[in-house]
Amino acid sequence: MQALRLEDVRFRYPGMSGWALDIPSLGIGQGEFVTVLGPNGAGKTTLSFLANGLIPKSIKGESEGSVEVFEHKASEYSVAQLSTLVGMVFQEPESQLFCMSAEEEVAFGPENLAVPRDEIARRVEWALGLVGLKGMNGRSPSTLSGGQKQRLAIAAALSMKPSMLVLDEPAYALDPVGRIELYTILSDLKTNHGMTVVVMERDAEALAKFSDRFVVLVGGRITASGPPAAVLRDPRFLKEAGVSPPQLSEVASMISARRKGPPLGFLTVEEAVAEIMVNAPRHTRMVSR
Amino acid sequence: MTGLLDLYSEKGSFLHRLDPRVKLLAVLLLSVLAFMLSELLPLVLLLAFILLLLALSKSSFGKAFFALKFVVRLMVLITLLWPLFDRSGTPVLFSIGPLDITEPAIWRGVTSAVRIGCFATVWYILMFTTQQRDLVRALVKLGLRFDYGLALSISFRFIPTFGLTIESIKDAQRARALELDKGSFIRRSKNYVSVLVPAVVSALRTADTLALTLQSRAYGAFRDRTYLREIRMRPSDYVALAVAVLALLLPALAKYVYGVPL
Amino acid sequence: MIPLPEHDGNHQVLFLRNVKFTYESGVDALKGVTLEVDSGEYIAVVGGNGSGKTTLAKHMNGLLRPSVGQVVVSGGDSSTMTPAQMARVVGYAFQNPDHQLFCGTVQEEVSFGPGNMGLPADEVKRRADGAIEVMGLSEVRGKPPLSLPLGLRRRVSIASVIAMDPKVFVFDEPTTGLDANEADELMAIIRKLNGEGKAVVLITHEMKLVAEHANRVVVMAEGRIVLDSDTRGAFSDIELLRRSKLLPPPVTQLAHKLSQMGVSRDILTPQELVFELTRGDDD
Repeated sequence: MQALRLEDVRFRYPGMSGWALDIPSLGIGQGEFVTVLGPNGAGKTTLSFLANGLIPKSIKGESEGSVEVFEHKASEYSVAQLSTLVGMVFQEPESQLFCMSAEEEVAFGPENLAVPRDEIARRVEWALGLVGLKGMNGRSPSTLSGGQKQRLAIAAALSMKPSMLVLDEPAYALDPVGRIELYTILSDLKTNHGMTVVVMERDAEALAKFSDRFVVLVGGRITASGPPAAVLRDPRFLKEAGVSPPQLSEVASMISARRKGPPLGFLTVEEAVAEIMVNAPRHTRMVSR
Repeated sequence: MTGLLDLYSEKGSFLHRLDPRVKLLAVLLLSVLAFMLSELLPLVLLLAFILLLLALSKSSFGKAFFALKFVVRLMVLITLLWPLFDRSGTPVLFSIGPLDITEPAIWRGVTSAVRIGCFATVWYILMFTTQQRDLVRALVKLGLRFDYGLALSISFRFIPTFGLTIESIKDAQRARALELDKGSFIRRSKNYVSVLVPAVVSALRTADTLALTLQSRAYGAFRDRTYLREIRMRPSDYVALAVAVLALLLPALAKYVYGVPL
Repeated sequence: MIPLPEHDGNHQVLFLRNVKFTYESGVDALKGVTLEVDSGEYIAVVGGNGSGKTTLAKHMNGLLRPSVGQVVVSGGDSSTMTPAQMARVVGYAFQNPDHQLFCGTVQEEVSFGPGNMGLPADEVKRRADGAIEVMGLSEVRGKPPLSLPLGLRRRVSIASVIAMDPKVFVFDEPTTGLDANEADELMAIIRKLNGEGKAVVLITHEMKLVAEHANRVVVMAEGRIVLDSDTRGAFSDIELLRRSKLLPPPVTQLAHKLSQMGVSRDILTPQELVFELTRGDDD
């Protein structure tokens, strides 16, 4: 089953001349971890709002095409109904947490959905546990670190039991450590709970080892889509798209350009060590020297 | 600003555990009582009772005094100024120029000051022993629309954040050689435009995301939402409520039915 | 009176001596920091959240006053200077441009700082025009800054600091929220300022930026400077960076993994690593 399916989707904000988003076709499979990579203004936020119905339900504009979420036509449901299928996490940690305690924050969604009290209590414990905030029920969100805030926002979405999470640049304001913690949790959600994860990002580096697929979005259009190794191996293409390539793919492509033989395709440090050891007998000799 | 609104402290006294609705009603009843009583002695007794509650709430008097220092100043001021404006009664104790200071006026000043003290302390106890969210829950339980309750609790939540934003904006403008509190009144007002505009813009941006967040969390999906934490009256809450009702009812009966001078 | 330290007046622009700072809440944010900044230096101050790097930066331009210790600006003790006076020497570009933009046009916004310094109108205009030019904002000079996209808003906020012509620039996470091209352009401008002899203090946790741009790295952890070295030296101590909650860039991590093969440990950029790995390929 497809978690998200876009057919001939176009969206234009009022008063703007061009399409903010123009996607002939995009499918995201259930249980897939997809990173949508693009510079500022590429349409990442627009895409995430289409996935949970905020566009066109709440944000108005000229809208065409069909958006299906788990084979339900998004246009036939309210944002509240879609929230049980698609959990949404925004960029800015501070303004998406509005309760006095972590527990209330996580309970807010299911309370609105009139879930019975015992079940809410169970979901709160479950969701806080999944994001590594167990026992923090009473903590005021404003006293949490940036990374913890974003994880709490994830828990607040998870408690509505969605099958897909859409995150709009969730690591925007985080330091590198917080970023990795966040993405590790998302990866665990995918692996252990079959969650479909769609992350909007500007930087390919952090997500190279977590994603099943990268989609490159430029000026509202998809210019590439495929597994990380295929999309990220061409740093020049990424730079032209306006996103920073992973450092190691730059290294791999520069070495490949200078050498004959099969091109190198590593993205992570581990892959690089393995490939370089095989491909550089001269250096291995240096070790035995 | 933040300190005034968030006085709550986790102390676990029986007053902390009381149903917030009961606390709210009790505070209202005691406030009415403070204004009903017009004689000094019963007011002093009421103040003593309220101070006893303060002690039972495990608030240190130092903290309460600090939080209420504005009220204490007001009490001193009332005591000193009342006789200057109220010149009725005899005997005249002394005169300052054309002003006659009378003995009953002095007592009336003290009485009013004690009344203000009762009133302020009882509300302080409420804020000290009740989390803002429980107050909001109580109001919603008592019939306030959930939307308004939510708006209220969001305001409570964002006031400190907004305070930090304003501090950061002030720093940013100081770093551009702005001297906020220098110059004439007009100059200073103009200086504050450079703080106000970014503050409003940043509040609007926050409100924008907040609105989208609320929708994404199924806000307004059903008319009857459920609540994780239900507040429920326990026997001790009924006892406390009865005590508060009697505390108003008995003196009221005595005063208005039996004509006891209270 | 504490004697001022000996220094060469031509070079030292900022000196923090044994600065300690405790917040009202009782948190000891700085526990004795000594740092000298010379003109023309490009220093990265790095550290995890809560390491004290922002508190340190706020001492550089007088927004915070040391509880203990001394801040010397352009050879003079700063304890009697107001932040407005210090702003002439040390410019501070805040992380969030939206915390300072408020004017009707970019031109006014950039003129605000020099105007506050009490400069004559023609000098204010000259400086504002210069800063607008440097930041590439000529085309939007008549537009309201708040209507611009984030990349341009950040540039306006930096232009407004440049217009004050300080000797030292402090940049607090200048690339937050920018995409690759916007960040590259901004970092190129900062490098140009540095080339003109301005001292640059870059506060960041992006180690890639540090590797590519800084000449000197100051690592902060728990209110102290745990390392103050040239950039290569800092990146060769990968363990210290990790302990300070910093993430060395992938090329540095890879270089360390490959060090047993003869690759040097102080690699900063992909180009350097490629050079090391392909050296001798053409033999």
